Amino acid sequence: MVGITKRFPGVVANDDVSFEAAEGEVHALLGENGAGKTTLSNILTGLYRQDEGEIELYGEQVRFHSPRDALDAGICMVHQHFRLVEPFSVAENVVLGDHRGAARRFVFHSSAIEKRVEELSTRYGLAVDPKARVWQLSVGEQQRVEILKALYREARILIMDEPTAVLTPQEAEALFGTLRAMAGEGKTVIFISHKLHEVKAVADRVTVLRGGRTVATVDAEPATLRSLAALMVGREIDVARPLEQPRRLADVRTLEVDGLTVAGDRGELAVKDVSFAIREGEIVGVAGVAGNGQRELAEAVSGMRDIRAGSVRIAGRRLRGGDPREAIRAGVGHVPEDRLGTGLAPSLSVTSNVVIKTYRRRSFSRGPLLALRRMREAAVGIIRRYDVKTPGPGTPVRNLSGGNLQKLVLGREFEDDPLVLVVAQPTRGLDVGAIETVHSYLRDAATRGVAILLMSEDLDEILALADRILVVYEGEIVGELHAGAASIEEIGLLMAGGGSE
Amino acid sequence: MKLERRLEQPWWLSVAVPLGSLVVAFGMMAVILAATGHDPVETYREILDAAFTGNGAFSATFISATPILFTGLAAAAAFRMQLFNIGAEGQLYLGAVGASWIALQLGDRSATSTPLYVVAMCVAAGLAGALWALIPGVLKAFARTNEIITSLMLNYVAGLLLTYLIFDSSSYWRDTSTLQARAFPQGKPMPEASNWPTFGSEVVVPLGFVIGLATALALWVLYTRMRFGFEVAVIADSPRAARYAGMRTRRKILSVMAVSGAIAGLGGASQIGDFTYTLDGSTTGLQAAAFGYTGIVVAALARYNPLAVCLVAVLIGGLQNAGYTLQGPDFPSGLVGVMQGIILFCALGGELLLRYRLRIRRRSSAHGGSGPAVEPAR
Amino acid sequence: MNDTLLVVVLADAVLYGTPLLFASLGELLAERSGVLNLGVEGMMLFGAVVGFWTTQRVEGASALVLVLAILASGLAGAAMAAIHAFLTITLRANQIVSGLALTIFAGGLGLSAYVGTELGFSPDLPARQRLGSLDVWGLADLPVLGPIVFDQSALVYASWIATLLVGLYLGRTRFGLNVRAVGEAPASADAMGINVTLYRYVHVLIGGGFAGVAGACYSLSISPGWIAGDTLIGGAGWIAIALVIFAFWRAELCLVGAYLFGALSALPFALQARDVEVAPEFLYAIPYLMTIVVLVIASTGLSKRRLGAPAALGIPYVREER
Repeated sequence: MVGITKRFPGVVANDDVSFEAAEGEVHALLGENGAGKTTLSNILTGLYRQDEGEIELYGEQVRFHSPRDALDAGICMVHQHFRLVEPFSVAENVVLGDHRGAARRFVFHSSAIEKRVEELSTRYGLAVDPKARVWQLSVGEQQRVEILKALYREARILIMDEPTAVLTPQEAEALFGTLRAMAGEGKTVIFISHKLHEVKAVADRVTVLRGGRTVATVDAEPATLRSLAALMVGREIDVARPLEQPRRLADVRTLEVDGLTVAGDRGELAVKDVSFAIREGEIVGVAGVAGNGQRELAEAVSGMRDIRAGSVRIAGRRLRGGDPREAIRAGVGHVPEDRLGTGLAPSLSVTSNVVIKTYRRRSFSRGPLLALRRMREAAVGIIRRYDVKTPGPGTPVRNLSGGNLQKLVLGREFEDDPLVLVVAQPTRGLDVGAIETVHSYLRDAATRGVAILLMSEDLDEILALADRILVVYEGEIVGELHAGAASIEEIGLLMAGGGSE
Repeated sequence: MKLERRLEQPWWLSVAVPLGSLVVAFGMMAVILAATGHDPVETYREILDAAFTGNGAFSATFISATPILFTGLAAAAAFRMQLFNIGAEGQLYLGAVGASWIALQLGDRSATSTPLYVVAMCVAAGLAGALWALIPGVLKAFARTNEIITSLMLNYVAGLLLTYLIFDSSSYWRDTSTLQARAFPQGKPMPEASNWPTFGSEVVVPLGFVIGLATALALWVLYTRMRFGFEVAVIADSPRAARYAGMRTRRKILSVMAVSGAIAGLGGASQIGDFTYTLDGSTTGLQAAAFGYTGIVVAALARYNPLAVCLVAVLIGGLQNAGYTLQGPDFPSGLVGVMQGIILFCALGGELLLRYRLRIRRRSSAHGGSGPAVEPAR
Repeated sequence: MNDTLLVVVLADAVLYGTPLLFASLGELLAERSGVLNLGVEGMMLFGAVVGFWTTQRVEGASALVLVLAILASGLAGAAMAAIHAFLTITLRANQIVSGLALTIFAGGLGLSAYVGTELGFSPDLPARQRLGSLDVWGLADLPVLGPIVFDQSALVYASWIATLLVGLYLGRTRFGLNVRAVGEAPASADAMGINVTLYRYVHVLIGGGFAGVAGACYSLSISPGWIAGDTLIGGAGWIAIALVIFAFWRAELCLVGAYLFGALSALPFALQARDVEVAPEFLYAIPYLMTIVVLVIASTGLSKRRLGAPAALGIPYVREER
């Protein structure tokens, strides 16, 4: 790809980006969130069209007008957010849209396709049942379906976009093995990530992107984590984890969860008999692969999901469950993982979103009438205090960037003086600067005495922030560790279901 | 040529685009007229004359505009929360039933105070309309049943109810006093005192229209300055965020449907009190007028703003009035529906320009293209 | 035996249910691709007018004229659907309002009436052609089955074939798989190289074609002739939309539902013919009330996701959005 430029309203996602990858190579695209890696790969797969620049495939210039062109050229991508059709079976998903050979026939013969899928899955170590419906599969299995799609189409270039976000450390190792095997067969694998140690583990060469531009292309062997980090961020950062002294905490239990059992979306039990407590000012991190019950746990504590059995107590007061208003009144703040879809109303202004939970209070409404000016003042206050970059309090929140959205939500929750704060995936998709800011806000809140329940798929984040770590697997707590004593390997093992002796 | 989502909306755009789409619609209409052998300019002049400028035209326009003012407000009230209440038609009928019932009751008790009649009819009509709207409301809130179909089906049921009351029963509403009335079914005439007053002499404004204006103002305040409206806005934008914030979505569905139905019911009261002075059960009268569906057109064109609904109702009322007046060999029936449809289509198309901007891409190199100053990627 | 209430009602159920079947199959195709088209009533009426016009104006052998009329009504319906398709797919307008606008535009007070009066139709105009029942293999006199199965018009038999074809198409062909993907997860389908826009346009247009043919059922078969306003169809278009939900978006169940509602529509006449003393309004109201009941049953308790509604129904698909 040479000189690729892509603009979106308000931002240049790719600015004169160039890089090349060879046959039989695993080439990593490294950059922090927002550096332009996904946009670049979307251009390569035909989903977007570049504004300027050219793509050359095997020496010949190509122009993609649609994803079909890219697929025909042998380029397949496994996205961060899977492009699967959930009600369909694995086989149906694998063959979808394929118009070569066997699938060209008008009538659809599922058995032949299922057989081929089985062949491929055994050959590459991607175990999955071709007849299963995708919605029944785990996230790791769904990813395998995505890879099978590429293999079925005999892709020559495979792009993996942040694949390990949903895997345990062990599953990630297995994936790397599969990718290296594919490269060994002469395929080209492009590995997009912001995780330094992964890139170093699997790639042959690394291209670093920063702020929409290419910074450098280096060989993976001789590079160190430190040098890669420096390229990625533009300055030297300390990659080692600072060792922290365990903090002194008051003995007041703000959040008590006892025997909590919660049902998931499909009626199955997502949280099974979970018990733990969080003290005033303590940060408890919940580690686990996505889909093991963290989301349901967070929703139960914040009132968005019914409690099937067990109890949740806030400062001694037991919650009925299933009622967000009750939880809010009890002093539970909630920073949901879906910022713009759940925590905020996207088309409404910053002001409206600031008072979205508190508009009934006497400070914001006189009887049924709204006190619009006071709401605006409150919003302006939060914008200032939490450094939310926005043209003004009247701006629709969907115009704000991810980092500012998160600062807004955090600011709103903090201002309400919660006793307990449930925080889910707080820094997903944010750049390093925003991540640091969010972490500092969370630490401040803890210092002020807020009990924080932190769910994160980013182990580094949990290790950096938490006082105690709970590991969930299949809805149960399988391990409890103190942050100082925890190691990534141990946590990873627990996350994958291997209990400690 | 590319479509990009707009980051913000300049205020003048929300007026320019609807006006622009109106102009485009009239243009398209002119083409169709010309193609079918009618002179567009002449037709438009006749419409203008019949709707506004001619003798007694404006008064007739108010007669057409009043019911659709109510149904337009009813639709706007519900659609603003993404509740597609298509049932204003039936809710209006029920309002008429309620209003005529209370008027007859008061008449039986020899009441003579017109203000009493007006208030009583409005209350009865509002209640009846609200209850009828709560059927799809309850089904939506508790069974998540699609309100479009349920409210629509109830329109037909309401129409059948009207016909039944007058034609196929000896109900309270039916006039059985004379032999002729028994042979050719019709509704009982309302007591003299229940006739609603009007205003003005050159241009006659019915009381119903004034009530409608007041309702529009009240609705506007409710939706922009009150907690009620705030909750509606949040639920409309993101039901998940509303639940997250602890809002009672189900209760809101019920109350919005009730408000919407009540307003449509008021339209029914106005029909009785302002215009017909009896309950009309025939399939060619009230049931053929399609007030409810026209109200949806009005609301959509007014972009669900209650104050704009008032203006649009007068415009569309004028159009409809002209349609009735001019009907004949020269002026095809069905033209009104076609015009309304085209206006709506153009308005829908115009919506696009409000949300997106058209960017013309130049194939040249380097920094082509206009647009806002771009900063480097975040 | 063939005069009993049951047989007569069932035979009429098929007759009245056929337009419902065509219309719901068409709407099914559109909705499977993710586009909700509420303009069915308008499309049916316009199809009815155009079909009728064809029989009045075109000279020729009866069968040929009727075939042409049916084709014409299908094209008419598709033409109306094209407006909705353009607005909702290309211009990304709100599908509900657009569908309603189409109903108003094409409906009994709009284009259909316009065309009707322009062409000089009136209720007394005698129909020059009508689709009579075909006595299939001479079995029309068989007990019970005869009048129901073997004594129906060609459109009825065509509708059975259509049901079969639509069902097979969606379930067993590659294109059917693709369109289902477009309706469930357009982003995934797009990423797999399927042209979402094309599939949606095609299916909405075909849906309109079916609706037009459904309208022709009325003006050419059930009540040949032309009545201004919407009493010709009387809400059948809306019932068809409800039918799709009732049928969990499956073609076979559309057939069952259509005949069920056809029976409910036929009941009032049959009862009246037997001098049963019930106020007709109650009977006429039954199909509408049944629709509501059926809808409530269909929406409660079920996880809509697993058993029916295409997940992307009603949402415009935008590929390049930040």
